[in-house]
Amino acid sequence: MMNFYRKHSEKLIGYTFITPSVLIISLFGVFPVFFGMYMSVHKWKVFKGRFLGFENYERILGSLSAFWFFVIGLLFLILSYWVWSEFKDKFKNKLYVLISSVLILIIGIYLINSNWGIMISEGDDDYLYSLIQTLYYSLFTIIFEVGLALVIAFALYQKLAGKQFFQMILLFPYITPAVMGAAVFFLIFGKAETSFLNQFVGLFGIEPQLWLFDKRPITEILFGVKIEGLFAGPSLALTSSIFYGIWSYTGYYAIILLAGLSIIPSDLYEAAKVEGASRWQTFVKITIPLLMPIIFFLMLTGFINTFQAFNSIFVMQTSSAGDTMDVVTIEIFDHFWGRVKYGYAAAEGVILFILLNVLAISQYVIFRKRINYD
Amino acid sequence: MLFLGKELIMTKIFNSETRAPYIILSLVFIISIYPFFYMIMTSLMTAGEAINQYVFPRSPMFENYVEVWTSNNFQRYTINSIIISTITVLGVLLTSIPAAYSFARIEFPFKNLIFYFLLLSLMIPEIITLLPHLLIIRGEIIPLPFGPTWMNTLQGLTVPFMGNIFVIFLLRQYFKKIPNELWEAARLDGASHFYFLTRIVIPMSMPIIVTVGLFTFIIAWNSFAWPLLILTKEDWYPVTVSVYSFVREVGPNFHLLMAACLIAIAPILILYFFTQRLFIESISNFGIKE
Repeated sequence: MMNFYRKHSEKLIGYTFITPSVLIISLFGVFPVFFGMYMSVHKWKVFKGRFLGFENYERILGSLSAFWFFVIGLLFLILSYWVWSEFKDKFKNKLYVLISSVLILIIGIYLINSNWGIMISEGDDDYLYSLIQTLYYSLFTIIFEVGLALVIAFALYQKLAGKQFFQMILLFPYITPAVMGAAVFFLIFGKAETSFLNQFVGLFGIEPQLWLFDKRPITEILFGVKIEGLFAGPSLALTSSIFYGIWSYTGYYAIILLAGLSIIPSDLYEAAKVEGASRWQTFVKITIPLLMPIIFFLMLTGFINTFQAFNSIFVMQTSSAGDTMDVVTIEIFDHFWGRVKYGYAAAEGVILFILLNVLAISQYVIFRKRINYD
Repeated sequence: MLFLGKELIMTKIFNSETRAPYIILSLVFIISIYPFFYMIMTSLMTAGEAINQYVFPRSPMFENYVEVWTSNNFQRYTINSIIISTITVLGVLLTSIPAAYSFARIEFPFKNLIFYFLLLSLMIPEIITLLPHLLIIRGEIIPLPFGPTWMNTLQGLTVPFMGNIFVIFLLRQYFKKIPNELWEAARLDGASHFYFLTRIVIPMSMPIIVTVGLFTFIIAWNSFAWPLLILTKEDWYPVTVSVYSFVREVGPNFHLLMAACLIAIAPILILYFFTQRLFIESISNFGIKE
């Protein structure tokens, strides 16, 4: 016995050390997704009911085959990028590569578009609509976050006094708990004529707005034209919560990008200076291309994170904004917390899981090469 | 001499090289800080001033804090949040430090397989896990220790978050860098893994431990959907849920809402203030390594 212990003590200690973590993470981290799948194929309202098969999914998506073709369409977009990046340097005639990559792109867009139409006409409008709101939220938040973060990082990168101080300030929004931050923004973006933002835009001669209480799409407010469908853009209410998203994460991204900037060799800048390049030219021609891997990485992880944004939007939700603020997490939460449809909500969650995995795959495809780069 | 120094600084700040960056950073500074400024100012106003959204209160009303603190069990909720977050942090560190040590420095079969299995949990959106968590906490899936159900209990609020692969991952990276000669020397002196971990590895890794501790504390302090789900009674309400219900029924009490928010953010800001250097450093490192 003693001998056995001595022989294997190393391994035993190894296993003992990881046991608590493994137990908790398996139970609360990994197991739920499988159990969610199990729930999603049952009728489940508080307690488990009969087996339904894919009925929940069919009610949400209209037609399962349309959904899979939709996902295949998304994968085609990734494939199109992959073909281009993989073969553009291997063939002499780049035109063929370009044509095949564009062809795949068109097929992908066609698949996405036509199957989305089928899903919208037959499926659960609320859920599919919430996916569009989520897309708006993610897209706008990320583009502005990363764009602004780039400018801030570049400004910080100049040799300035007080860099440490600015870095500290930049992370203030990031560490602010979302519920409290959203509560402050809830007042700043208030509908009263005296609300801070209305007073502020008043300085520029703009009419007071309803902000978080306005469900009109942003294009209608800005340009006065009524557009239906995807290109109408987010409602003013959702846009207000997008502002919160941008406010809370930009500084964090700027810090990461600043770290990325500091590993760019400085002789490149020296050379550009000797050549007489302006600062703007250096920024566009040197900084951005060299930062591209990090920018891509931030955008994709940002997508995955903003797809899951919940706390701030939940707090800022108003009834007069209607369902224009129902991003997908809110829709799911509402289904099981408010309406106690557990099986249905689980199915919605599994669909979100599948879509997030498609995003993760695209992240892998895009970074497959960059990872080995250095 | 002093004058010359000042002159130098002034030219350094305002020469044409640095003018544009300073303008950008000043704007960013104002936008980052303004909501906090707004919160503090509004929390010091009377109800009327707050509704009309003056920039400054005529005379600061520190009574607002007292009113919020003593009304609606707010102090109890704040203390709840402190207890919940502290226990979560201690739990996470207690499970993660040995696990990270084991993954970094001990050889055992299936090590990488187990690690990748745990990494799976990063792929799963939180919203999906809420529902199965709820059933687990109700005791419908497996029998639970400490009572038939964990609804409305402290263990229900904390235990599900006590394992965190991300924390293990960060700690593991750090532990790997500790030179192996140290362990060889310690083993010659007859030290066990446990002794080596507690006496040498942990003291050497304080920066990263403090950082992940702060990360975990912020996440725990921020937790909102989960308490909302499992708390049907108010005994263990955290401050987030309390602020949320405050927002829903705020009516004309803007100033009290902002005072509540300030109290609810203060612990995080104080913690951040003391650890900011470590925090910024680890975010920078992490961003590159990924």
